[in-house]
Amino acid sequence: MKFHWFHGMPWPHLPDDFRKRNRSVWVDADASLYDPVEGGRLYHEYLDQMEYAEQVGFDGLIVNEHHQNVFGLMPSPQLMAAALARRTSRAAIVMLGMSIALYRPATRAAEEIAMLDVLSGGRIVAGFPLGTPMDTNFAYGVNPADFRRVYREHHDLILRAWQDPDVFAWHGESTKLRYVNIWPRPIQQPHPPIWIPADGISSETWDFCAERGYNYVCLASRGIEPAQAAMDGFWSRIDDRGLERNPYQGAVSQTIVVAESDDEAQQRYEPHFEYTSRHTLDDFPGWTEAPGWRTERGIRERAERTMQELANPKPARIPTWQERLDVGSLAAGSPDTVTEQLEHLVTTLQAGHLIGVFHVGDMPYDLTLRSTRLFAEHVIPRLRHLWQDHDDHWSPRPIPTRQSRAPKRATAGVHRWPN
Amino acid sequence: MAELTTLDLTPGGQTAHVWQGGDPESPALLFLHPITGIPRWGDALEALANDFRVIAPYQPGWGPAKDDLPGVRDALDLVLFNVDLLNTLGVGTAHVVGISIGGWIGAEIAAIRPDAVQSLTLVNPLGLWSENHPGEDPFAQHPGFPTAVLFSDPDKRAKLLMADRDPMDAYVEELLDLRASAKFLWPIPDTGVGRRLMRIDTRTLIATSEHDNVVAGEMGDIWRAAIPGAQSVQLAGSGHIADLEVPDALADLVRNFALEGVTA
Repeated sequence: MKFHWFHGMPWPHLPDDFRKRNRSVWVDADASLYDPVEGGRLYHEYLDQMEYAEQVGFDGLIVNEHHQNVFGLMPSPQLMAAALARRTSRAAIVMLGMSIALYRPATRAAEEIAMLDVLSGGRIVAGFPLGTPMDTNFAYGVNPADFRRVYREHHDLILRAWQDPDVFAWHGESTKLRYVNIWPRPIQQPHPPIWIPADGISSETWDFCAERGYNYVCLASRGIEPAQAAMDGFWSRIDDRGLERNPYQGAVSQTIVVAESDDEAQQRYEPHFEYTSRHTLDDFPGWTEAPGWRTERGIRERAERTMQELANPKPARIPTWQERLDVGSLAAGSPDTVTEQLEHLVTTLQAGHLIGVFHVGDMPYDLTLRSTRLFAEHVIPRLRHLWQDHDDHWSPRPIPTRQSRAPKRATAGVHRWPN
Repeated sequence: MAELTTLDLTPGGQTAHVWQGGDPESPALLFLHPITGIPRWGDALEALANDFRVIAPYQPGWGPAKDDLPGVRDALDLVLFNVDLLNTLGVGTAHVVGISIGGWIGAEIAAIRPDAVQSLTLVNPLGLWSENHPGEDPFAQHPGFPTAVLFSDPDKRAKLLMADRDPMDAYVEELLDLRASAKFLWPIPDTGVGRRLMRIDTRTLIATSEHDNVVAGEMGDIWRAAIPGAQSVQLAGSGHIADLEVPDALADLVRNFALEGVTA
């Protein structure tokens, strides 16, 4: 079993009247609420947390991409990955991901991932999400009517740019390049592992991952049942092709809190979950379905739920701590409790990679680190043995640390790399 | 009696799904539908068929032509589709009425193939952008009521667009029609037609609806100023989808202007 530490990098200082004055945390939220000086301090704090996660034994550090988003201050995950590449030496750096439909030309994404792979000594995982309508369509203007085609084209171009030893011409519909010949090339050959995060049921994504041999990442943010439905769908596509179910081809993300006791977890951490929930409750629905975002099949799969919700509207409210635990959108409590919850989650889903979300909303630095440390000390050792009979083909294959170092140190300044 | 037929077009080879009604000997009228497509042979088409041979195709990507969207990229593809349709039907020249996104397509046809257009009526046309009059974003809407903003009263979506149809099929078509519209209007409804409007030498009437949330009334003045000799009027009581909201007033407007040259 592999364990990864995810950071969403939220803005933790929204005023109490935020929802009165803003219809959404996405796209058009009042940017005067952002304080750049405090933002700089936060970036360092958040990166410190991620570096700490490597120190206490996590296998991977996860960055992601959002735009014009109060709860995702990482428009460029590459920049954060670059910072992590310099200050860490062992952990995988998982780009979960780069929204490749946004990069024009997409060779820019191929170049930057190759740069990061080289800089980190081959520790990069390339995550290629479709993104969200808010990021892709509303903030970045990609046309939803054909963005899936753009996504596929960019995917194909990036893969070829990494691997084709020759200069080639790319005559795509979205991109036309007479000369493709990127420098640098990734250390990991033929290319870094590719993970595809998917939110919800998407049969197209299941097929894409199964056909290509990519890691399928599902999110437990809505609870264990929908996550299981998503993962079962993916495994069924693996079965259909007569392939082996290797748990390392699946990942699940889960929000996690570890404290000395179950009561302490709730007492100290619950307010920080409420911060997020309060500000995202009843968010503007107009951002969620850019026309064309779903395929016709996707529309039909979603339509029944939409109609049921409209027929029986329920007032939105913040879930209680117990409700979060009951549906499984949160794993929280003492190390024993959390071990039990997560063992249930990953064995039910047959997922070999667990992506832990240890920081949410306005959770303070010390609480985040404390939960991270307790998890590393008391939970990881008890779950590490899971799936040990399988080979993990979806983690990076770095070169030895010594070889990855710069040959000479700078004469001034502090260098944290081990000798 | 109107019917929906499928035609193979020459010389382009596309397939067209087209409603036709009215006396074949009457003057031809090419009806270019709005964002919401053609939910049925409705009152506006029926009223127009009293005076015209009505030719009302689904543009590629709308309604039964939903799978044809990848084959069209831009204005020229749409112009050729419609010109090929007229050609296939043996119609040399037609009166053209375009509503909403159909207004843009009509203007493109008149600019690129003026010989094919006898008169041009543009109702709440999309395709020009003004920062001062952006209107509501038709694509940032509640997924449960995706086109409600296009009506003067949101409840009219259920009454006029969705009524008498299978709810699921109508809803899926509504979203796919929006997808087709987004292909040409995302993220800002500036299609570049403004660079070609001065070429239009056909008699042109611009109509804007009194309660259109998407195309502000001021946009009518901008269109009128860009098309030589164009006139403009206001349609009382309607939202953006004028063919569904005020079918008789729309038919009167088109008839009076196209056949009589009267704009009142």
